[in-house]
Amino acid sequence: MRVSWNWLSSLVDLEGYTPLELADILTQGGVETGAPEYLHPGFSGVVIGRIVAAEKHPAADTLRVCQVDVGGTPELGGTSNRQIVTGAVNIFVGDRVPVALPGAVLQGAVLPGAVLPGAVLPERERAEPVAAVELRGVVSNGVFCSEKDLGLGSVGTERSRDGVLILPTDAPPGMDLGAYLELDDWVLDLDLYPNRADCLAMIHVAREVGALIGRKAVVPVLASADDPWAAAGLWPASGQEIVIEARDGSRRYSALIVENVAVEPSPIWLQNRLRAAGIRPISNIVDLTNYCMLEQGQPLHAFDLDKLSGPVCVRRARPGERLTTLDGMERDLSEDMLVIADENGPVAIAGVMGGLDTEVTETTRRVLFESAHFQGAGVRRTSRRLGLRSESSLRFEKGVDAAGSGATLERLAGLLAELSAGEPVGFSEQIVDIPARSVIRLDVCRVAEVLGVAVEAEQVRETMERQEFACRFRKAEGRDTVFEVEVPTYRQDLKIEEDLIEEVARMIGYDRIPTTSPHSLQTQGTRSGEQILRRRVRQGLVEAGMHEVVSYAFVGEKNDGAWGAADRQIRLLNPLRDEMSVMRTSLVPGLLGIAGRNVARQNSAVTLFEIGNVYLAREPVVQNQPIGELPDEVMKVAGVVCGKEVKHWGQAGAEYGFFYLKGILEALGVRLGVAFRWERPVGEALLHPGRSADVYVGDSRVGVLGELHPEGAANWDLRHPVVFELDFRMVAAAARANGHELQARTVVAKGYPRYPSVQRDLALLTAESVAAGDIEAGIRVLGGALLQRAEIFDVYTGPPVPPGYKSLAFSLQYQSRERTLTDAEVDEANQTILRGIQEEFGAERRMT
Amino acid sequence: MFPVPMFHDLIGKGMRGMRDRIREIELHVLEELEKRLSPEDLQELKVRTMGKKGTLTALYKEMRDLRAEFKREAGQMINDVRETLEKAFADKEEVLSDLMLKKRLQEETLDISLPGLPVRRGYRHPLTLMFDEIEEIFLAMGFSVAEGPEIETDHYNFEALNLPKDHPARDMQDSFFISEEIVLRTQTSPVQVRTMQQMCPALPVKIIAPGKVFRYDDDATHSPMFHQVEGLLVDKGVRMSDLKGVLLLFVRQMFGEDREIRLRPSFFPFTEPSAEVDVSCMICGGKGCRLCKGTGWIEILGAGMVHPRVLEIGGYDPKEVTGFAFGMGVERVAMLKYGIEDIRLIYDNDVRFLQQF
Repeated sequence: MRVSWNWLSSLVDLEGYTPLELADILTQGGVETGAPEYLHPGFSGVVIGRIVAAEKHPAADTLRVCQVDVGGTPELGGTSNRQIVTGAVNIFVGDRVPVALPGAVLQGAVLPGAVLPGAVLPERERAEPVAAVELRGVVSNGVFCSEKDLGLGSVGTERSRDGVLILPTDAPPGMDLGAYLELDDWVLDLDLYPNRADCLAMIHVAREVGALIGRKAVVPVLASADDPWAAAGLWPASGQEIVIEARDGSRRYSALIVENVAVEPSPIWLQNRLRAAGIRPISNIVDLTNYCMLEQGQPLHAFDLDKLSGPVCVRRARPGERLTTLDGMERDLSEDMLVIADENGPVAIAGVMGGLDTEVTETTRRVLFESAHFQGAGVRRTSRRLGLRSESSLRFEKGVDAAGSGATLERLAGLLAELSAGEPVGFSEQIVDIPARSVIRLDVCRVAEVLGVAVEAEQVRETMERQEFACRFRKAEGRDTVFEVEVPTYRQDLKIEEDLIEEVARMIGYDRIPTTSPHSLQTQGTRSGEQILRRRVRQGLVEAGMHEVVSYAFVGEKNDGAWGAADRQIRLLNPLRDEMSVMRTSLVPGLLGIAGRNVARQNSAVTLFEIGNVYLAREPVVQNQPIGELPDEVMKVAGVVCGKEVKHWGQAGAEYGFFYLKGILEALGVRLGVAFRWERPVGEALLHPGRSADVYVGDSRVGVLGELHPEGAANWDLRHPVVFELDFRMVAAAARANGHELQARTVVAKGYPRYPSVQRDLALLTAESVAAGDIEAGIRVLGGALLQRAEIFDVYTGPPVPPGYKSLAFSLQYQSRERTLTDAEVDEANQTILRGIQEEFGAERRMT
Repeated sequence: MFPVPMFHDLIGKGMRGMRDRIREIELHVLEELEKRLSPEDLQELKVRTMGKKGTLTALYKEMRDLRAEFKREAGQMINDVRETLEKAFADKEEVLSDLMLKKRLQEETLDISLPGLPVRRGYRHPLTLMFDEIEEIFLAMGFSVAEGPEIETDHYNFEALNLPKDHPARDMQDSFFISEEIVLRTQTSPVQVRTMQQMCPALPVKIIAPGKVFRYDDDATHSPMFHQVEGLLVDKGVRMSDLKGVLLLFVRQMFGEDREIRLRPSFFPFTEPSAEVDVSCMICGGKGCRLCKGTGWIEILGAGMVHPRVLEIGGYDPKEVTGFAFGMGVERVAMLKYGIEDIRLIYDNDVRFLQQF
């Protein structure tokens, strides 16, 4: 809501406040207000001139020499006429135009009204002052100005588009243009919360300001403002029939019939006020509907009565009905839309926009002014569906006071008379119901209980009365600390006691509320077991050198479907973009995308992970059929590595390959007390078949690890990326089963053997198809209790190892808890292992 | 390597000869000793002189041929020389080993200007850092960490929060829809109601709820997905002043001990009274700067007293209990705290950006 300072000043005394101070008071009071905007674009020395004569320039075809009346005082002997040479083509004798006299500054002038610290001013450089010049031998004492020259929006007549700004024919010559257009004004832009629909009316803004600064607003006195039923008594009943057929869509429809209408431009003061509010003046009739709406908050609509026939009906649109609205667009109406119709069909979309056919034009003589209430929800739906928002729909959506429609027509009638724009002759009205003032109980003790600050009963009363709410003791309760407060119908936001407590707090100022500590019992703040484990996983991956990323939960359909579960994918009805159209079912595509982006920017060492939910429909998704219940949100942890460690002089960097990532997962397993098992995957199409593994905990498959299939890697512009994705819930369950959910990991500490260990290396020659892990496991079993450690320290293929074979070297450590081992014992154990391995895997001892 | 003189060839036998030879050996060895520059060479000389077959040792044998009266004298002499030589060897050994050590240290000198071996570490995402920091502060105040679904029913996301269908306040939160009844949650507030329903009738309900939220928005200051932390305390006798106290504590731990907060009336359908919470600018301290647009205050939170209707839906009797709730945008807090100017950086995940945290 744009609020003109000058207009507001006419409704409440603002003496002693600057616009900036007031903006701050409003913001502190709960009506967020931006920095005030000064309306004057910053010209000076520009006055209104009347063109008295215009003749062709003696020496130039494209120029004219004009004599211009710029006011002045001829009776004192001076002539007020100026000679101005112009190339403008859109001006005629008799026109009123802006004249920049010598010394005038067209932009960047310092204006006394604008000098206000902290205010937002148009930032324009100061232009050179206008000077008298000679054009082809003829002196020009000034220049005519266009709207653009002056930095003004559209303020002139239609002809102004072609050049010089043409002012209304009653613009007084000699008057300063800024004063004429009332540009020495500030606009406060109120950013209203949805609950303060009342502040979409100047009179209620004035009341709010008055309450906040402790001054009473002086608003137009209207009989029907106090008594919503009074309007019917102000004019004779007209014969116009009104029918509210859709009684759930409208509470009230009032119509004022006006005859002898003279459609013409509005007086400049009216135009100025509309422009300051951001509304374009059109004609007196339309302007008055807008003015009354701005002032009273009640949207009005003017129909050309001669173009209506039969009863005016408020009803739902019928199948197939269409309407061409004022903006010239033909609209298809659906059956839940509320319309105003006469006997020939819809003439307006209720509360949104009128129809073109019944629009008020220059030839209109009789007008039906509509002042009605429409349900906000319906208007909101309709205006969204049609993509059509107006000042009217904005107000109806937030809620218009059905008690105020009569008062607004009363105000309109007064202004019509003031402007001699027409004569009210009759009134018709259909009422479903009119809201009564609500009476709300307000317990002073409760104010203190909720706010934590003691407020005296008298002060509570004062905060209510400042807002013009009637406030009296509730005798029935026998205490002098309980009030009943009568709330005006325009404050629809106030329904319960807490609403009034906020009003008290607003009026005394939120800064009166002290800071205290809750009385609540001392509680121990806790995290859930899963949250603790999630943090531990994150910590583990970070310590392993991986960077955490956070990516969007909605992704492109195709990539995600391939990686996750295409049949469980949930589609957004209104995605922002195609690549954000489904909820992810896998974290991997997002990570690959981020990895690709990093590599493209030469961030070549990529080690990334993400912990987050994927979203799976509980049933396979049927095309175009929305899911019926909330999906399963499955927390996953996934990562990608690609490239190699940054080169270092003292250390060969590791390749970010399969084993790099496997090592990180193994370490993670240790941290969580979970033993991962690795199985060759079956039917995995996206990963390299020879370089990938299914990850198991016990018998459950909890995820995958592997290098991308070379074909897939190319699509992501990555060289040999390796990814993993684990189902965090399953891993967490396994960890929890092992008692790993406590903050401190549960460890049962063991001592270490005190007797010396014996080290033996064992080199084996085995077929390449035999898994090293199997041999290692075999060795552990065969080694029995004496074998403390068995580690593969070398894997080798190539000469002299024959093709199809590989050499594996194990480092074995024997140790007893009871005694020092003898060589013979160790030799025997080693032999047992060797024999077993030979038998089971056909491996041979390799002599080096 | 060098000729070994055969003393007994040169000098006659007998005591005089013996005396000369002892002297000779002494002189010769002392002279040789000076020339030896490595511990090994020194050792070789020592062995050759005083080892089992050493020249000096040999003299003990020869001594047996002397007359008895010379035996004692000769023995004494040999012992003296032996002592002298041993001392000389020891001294020399020490000198040489000092020398060797110096040499070794010299050789082992490193270019200490070379960088150390890299310790690979990863980085938590800045949003995680923020979550951790916020959570720790509230955990210490006794708030537990609760979570709820990111895809929500219209009921929990709106209706249960006093936002019926077609309520104009829904415009404040343009939603992503899955179906008519299912949305991506636009706020973490649904966790309020879910937690109350779960805990009722236990008191107090004292939680924070961090998580992802989604709104139909995308520009330099709005991301279609972002994160919030919701807070809720429901108990007997909870006051708005308690809200102020808790938030002041939070703000001071988060942004510094000098920070102040300011509450302004606001509107949220699920709180009444409602407040917008500003914190005094962490850059200028309240004097006014670019960050706070000259006001000295920065908006960081929405808060208020839980609306009685919401308490009811949560299962509690608003006549018995009151509560406060607050919510903050984590990106906004991160942007303020780390001076991030464009929210899109947070979701771009460029390694160079991530490695700063």
